[in-house]
Amino acid sequence: MSEQHGDTFLALADFLIPRHGDMPAYSEVCTYDTALAALDFRIDLKEGFERAVAVDLKDGAEGALEKMAEGDAEAFNALSTVAVCTYYMDQKVRELIGYPGQESVTYDSKATQPYLVDGSLAKVIARGQTYRPTPGL
Amino acid sequence: MSVEKLEPRRSRPRRDEEVDVVIVGAGPSGSVAALELARAGISVVVLEQGDWPDYDDYTGARPEHELVATKLWHPNPNVRDNPRDYPVDTSTTDINPLMYAGVGGSANLYGAQWMHFLPSDFKVRSMDGVADDWPFTYEDLLPFQLEIERQVGVSGLSGDPAYPPRGPYPFPALPMGSVGHRGIMGQEEMGWHWWPGSNAIPSESFGQLNPCVRRGTCLTGCPEGAKSTTDRSHWPLALKAGATLVTNARVSEIETDADGLATGVVYIDGNGRTRRQKAKVVILCANGVGTPRLLLMSGGEDGLANSSGLVGKRLMMHPFASVLASFEDPLDSWRGPFGQQIYSLEFYETDESRGFLRGSKWNCMPSGGPVGVSGAIGSKVYVSEDGDFRDFWGKNLHENVARRFGHSLIWGIVGEDLPEEDNQVVLSKDLVDSDGLPAPQIKYQVNENSNRLLNFNIERCLESVNAAGAIETLVSTPVRESGWHLIGTTVMGDDPRKSVVDQWGATHDVPNLYVMDASTFPTSGATNPTATIMAVALRNTRRMIAERRNQKVA
Repeated sequence: MSEQHGDTFLALADFLIPRHGDMPAYSEVCTYDTALAALDFRIDLKEGFERAVAVDLKDGAEGALEKMAEGDAEAFNALSTVAVCTYYMDQKVRELIGYPGQESVTYDSKATQPYLVDGSLAKVIARGQTYRPTPGL
Repeated sequence: MSVEKLEPRRSRPRRDEEVDVVIVGAGPSGSVAALELARAGISVVVLEQGDWPDYDDYTGARPEHELVATKLWHPNPNVRDNPRDYPVDTSTTDINPLMYAGVGGSANLYGAQWMHFLPSDFKVRSMDGVADDWPFTYEDLLPFQLEIERQVGVSGLSGDPAYPPRGPYPFPALPMGSVGHRGIMGQEEMGWHWWPGSNAIPSESFGQLNPCVRRGTCLTGCPEGAKSTTDRSHWPLALKAGATLVTNARVSEIETDADGLATGVVYIDGNGRTRRQKAKVVILCANGVGTPRLLLMSGGEDGLANSSGLVGKRLMMHPFASVLASFEDPLDSWRGPFGQQIYSLEFYETDESRGFLRGSKWNCMPSGGPVGVSGAIGSKVYVSEDGDFRDFWGKNLHENVARRFGHSLIWGIVGEDLPEEDNQVVLSKDLVDSDGLPAPQIKYQVNENSNRLLNFNIERCLESVNAAGAIETLVSTPVRESGWHLIGTTVMGDDPRKSVVDQWGATHDVPNLYVMDASTFPTSGATNPTATIMAVALRNTRRMIAERRNQKVA
């Protein structure tokens, strides 16, 4: 895919994910190469992505996306999936939203859980049996 | 079969040699049956259309997780598009069936929520005047439930007043995160039932299972090997006991002789060759879609074991709604365990004043990573199909993520599905799998009782999360991608005119052909069914072994 496709992709991605508050625009943290690398994980998106980045931007990014969303949902899905996933894979973005990734958390399996000592579970028990017994049926 | 016919088994059977039992499917029920039979010295071959799960392929610990999992580990086989799965014609269903072909079965992609059915689930006709009673009771099944829990390695806390008294779980309940505590807050404000989640995830090392590290990716495969699936809990033991497992083996037909007795199955192996596995007994464990599909592909125009005309009918899939609630306070809501940190059975039992029969189970779970909560891609659970794309992009994307990510929980609402003969599995006339076999077609509509049930529960759930301080709520009902529980398509009962199998799973028409998955359940309950599936399989297999002298075979 050409340099022009890269420019088109970044223009579309920046409309979908613009700078807002502390959050950077897509092109401030990711590149076209980032998106192409992501397609190696999702080859099923390649065809739609190629159509998405080949669109004409004469009506601007918003117009192109609107037309794509209505007329070529597969291309819109491919483009937007690659854009949003690579954006939130970026380390700077993750730091900004406080996301360490799906982390491993160690814990003491025998530690006393708060609900056992703060009275909350005792209230459930105190409200009594809720099941309907069936012996004899 | 007769014990006199059983020879001592010192080695595994040769390929294509007749065995005592062939099982179709290496998921939860097939694994239980295989282990029990092998331990009893009975020769058993299990044919599994998928392969062993490769834990290195699970992406939960990698940065690209949300990019990859929405395709590679999607629970809908039509989305996953793996040639080892079969496609499903979903053009005539409100809910998509979800499943996975491989050793361990669809549980590879389950949330591991571990729930028993309640006593009333076995007596729906007697208590509520609808559907059917089971041929056995909660009390009959309880010993098998408890034994399965020990095999699986379940974590939980006993003493729940929503259930009759029972013994302790094998492992302590998993630690509760902020999501669970916030769920408790709402339930306590309303004075409603909740209980710490029970999960098929040991909180400590157990056999080949590692302790949970709260990775939070249970639904897309556990890279830690902590979520209990039978590839780890049962198959190492079954293989050691002498069971034979053939993977990449897609069964195309059950064969019978002139007397109408099963003689084995035909399958297509991983190299595309057609093979035959002869057996004295055939057991189907291929789930509520795969089992009727195979019966309908066998035995002629009307299918096999179908004199009742009920094979494939009465499909139940548990209509499901979800409520996502966001809060000002951080909840670390990407952390697991994903399945259920707490559950509620407040509205489980019938109260006719609510305008519907039977009830629901709620489970409180984390909402996941930023892409999932953005609503922008994936299953589009919270995205209106006719919504403007700008609703989820631009500054709205940033604001949605800022409000929801790390600050939200999801209550899942599972509604009991009542059986209806029009809800059914049939063979597709034009869709086929990668071996050219007809795909199943699902004909299913969410009925009025279910719609009322879900609407009532959504309203109550919104009351709970609002009482806990929610600043935003998003509701999805019924969730289309929610058919995890495939139930009822070869119903059990005493009357051969009104049922397909007896209470031990033996088909009325073919006495050496059994079904041991959730296809046999007369009703669906409203809890996650895997515990009951495995317990019923254990009960049936024990009975089969005990009665093997009287087993009629070809």
